[in-house]
Amino acid sequence: MAQGPRAREELKQVLASGSPNAMPEAASKQLEKSARLMELLARTALADQRAFAELYRLTAPHLYAVALRILRESAAAEEVLQESFVSVWNHAGTYVSAKSQPLTWLTSIVRNRCLDQLRRRELDTVTLDDEERDMSIANEEPSPLEMLLSGSDARAVRNCVELLDSNQKQAVALAFYRGLTHSQLSRHFRQPLGTVKSWVRRALERLKSCLDTAGVAR
Amino acid sequence: MRLDAPAIVDALAAEYVLGTLPARTRRRLTNLMRFNRGLADAVHAWEERLLPLAEGVAPVAPPSRVWAQIRERIGGAAASAQPRSIWESLGLWRGLAIVGLATALALAVVVLSPPVERPEQPLVVVLTGQDAKPALVASADRGGRTLLVTAVAPVEVAVDRTLELWALPAVGSPRSLGLIAPSGVARIALPERVDSALAGIPALAVSLEPRGGSPTGLPTGPVLFSGQIQRLY
Repeated sequence: MAQGPRAREELKQVLASGSPNAMPEAASKQLEKSARLMELLARTALADQRAFAELYRLTAPHLYAVALRILRESAAAEEVLQESFVSVWNHAGTYVSAKSQPLTWLTSIVRNRCLDQLRRRELDTVTLDDEERDMSIANEEPSPLEMLLSGSDARAVRNCVELLDSNQKQAVALAFYRGLTHSQLSRHFRQPLGTVKSWVRRALERLKSCLDTAGVAR
Repeated sequence: MRLDAPAIVDALAAEYVLGTLPARTRRRLTNLMRFNRGLADAVHAWEERLLPLAEGVAPVAPPSRVWAQIRERIGGAAASAQPRSIWESLGLWRGLAIVGLATALALAVVVLSPPVERPEQPLVVVLTGQDAKPALVASADRGGRTLLVTAVAPVEVAVDRTLELWALPAVGSPRSLGLIAPSGVARIALPERVDSALAGIPALAVSLEPRGGSPTGLPTGPVLFSGQIQRLY
């Protein structure tokens, strides 16, 4: 997904240099993959079921994993995945006007549905259970913090994340991968709401200025 | 909700994408985005910044019923929704080196058919990288004692590094299965039959280790590829 801005940047350099061979292999593969997904989305918009099936095959494992992390329940994650792809089938045409890379667009559809469902679910259960309290501590699966620092293709954003202090990193990781709200973060860290809000706000400000300096986001 | 100052719009968009906002605020922003161009643009910009972080999540194959349900809901010629062939999708991975027809067939079995396996079928595990792209395929006869690992895409490893294959048990520490040669091919002899050796192992992973393998007996380098062992019996 990071291929979006980064790949665009590389593409710009290649165009400037006038030589396609100047493009690093990894970036050219990313571009190719992105281009393929765009083509599949375009064909999906024309009700091409084969293209849609391939789009699903190529992206569903990633999107399902994202949903599983946030929702913590396979049935709920399956439902979101199903709803998201039905929505993609119906609205693939609107992708053209979207400004993002295809995988970013798909991820946003899935994540938004997950977050909405999570928030609805929380109207019933207000407190975090113990399992959730301890969730930054690694069990057999990578912790949100580990995930934050992996993602080899997300190099630019990861480099910027490295600059955050540890509370900021933890807060960003728990919010991003588990969908914790400010008040849940405040309970998790046993810190006042205002403190946690300012961690997150400063973290986002630092990420933005770091990424914008790196020329990644607009 | 005050949305007159760009700084406030940007801060709200950032929290919206990160996921920290409570239900009511999320709903209001979702609605406002349809009319407020500035807010919608700010949200898009933050998605571009933050969503690459989702790549840190290792892909998980969804159950085949999800696709079946989607296909049912979008109606139409259900049969034709099946991907036509593995070869068609290979265009995406141009330059991908297929190592032998057997590997390609093994891959096709996994990609094209729902992950239903009967005990007599060979075990096939597709190991993918962060980008969900198949990189290595591990296969074996369940009754055999050899696990064959082949690279389906070129994997570049520095001369002082080695790829190491691990069994990831549901509980407990990863167990080293062996090293993968720079050629990307490995024949790993197991101490017992494949189905016993891999009993209780839901996944395999490949990490990058110092030459000669992990000095500690546990993965020390980054996990480059991983794959689930499908087990329905």
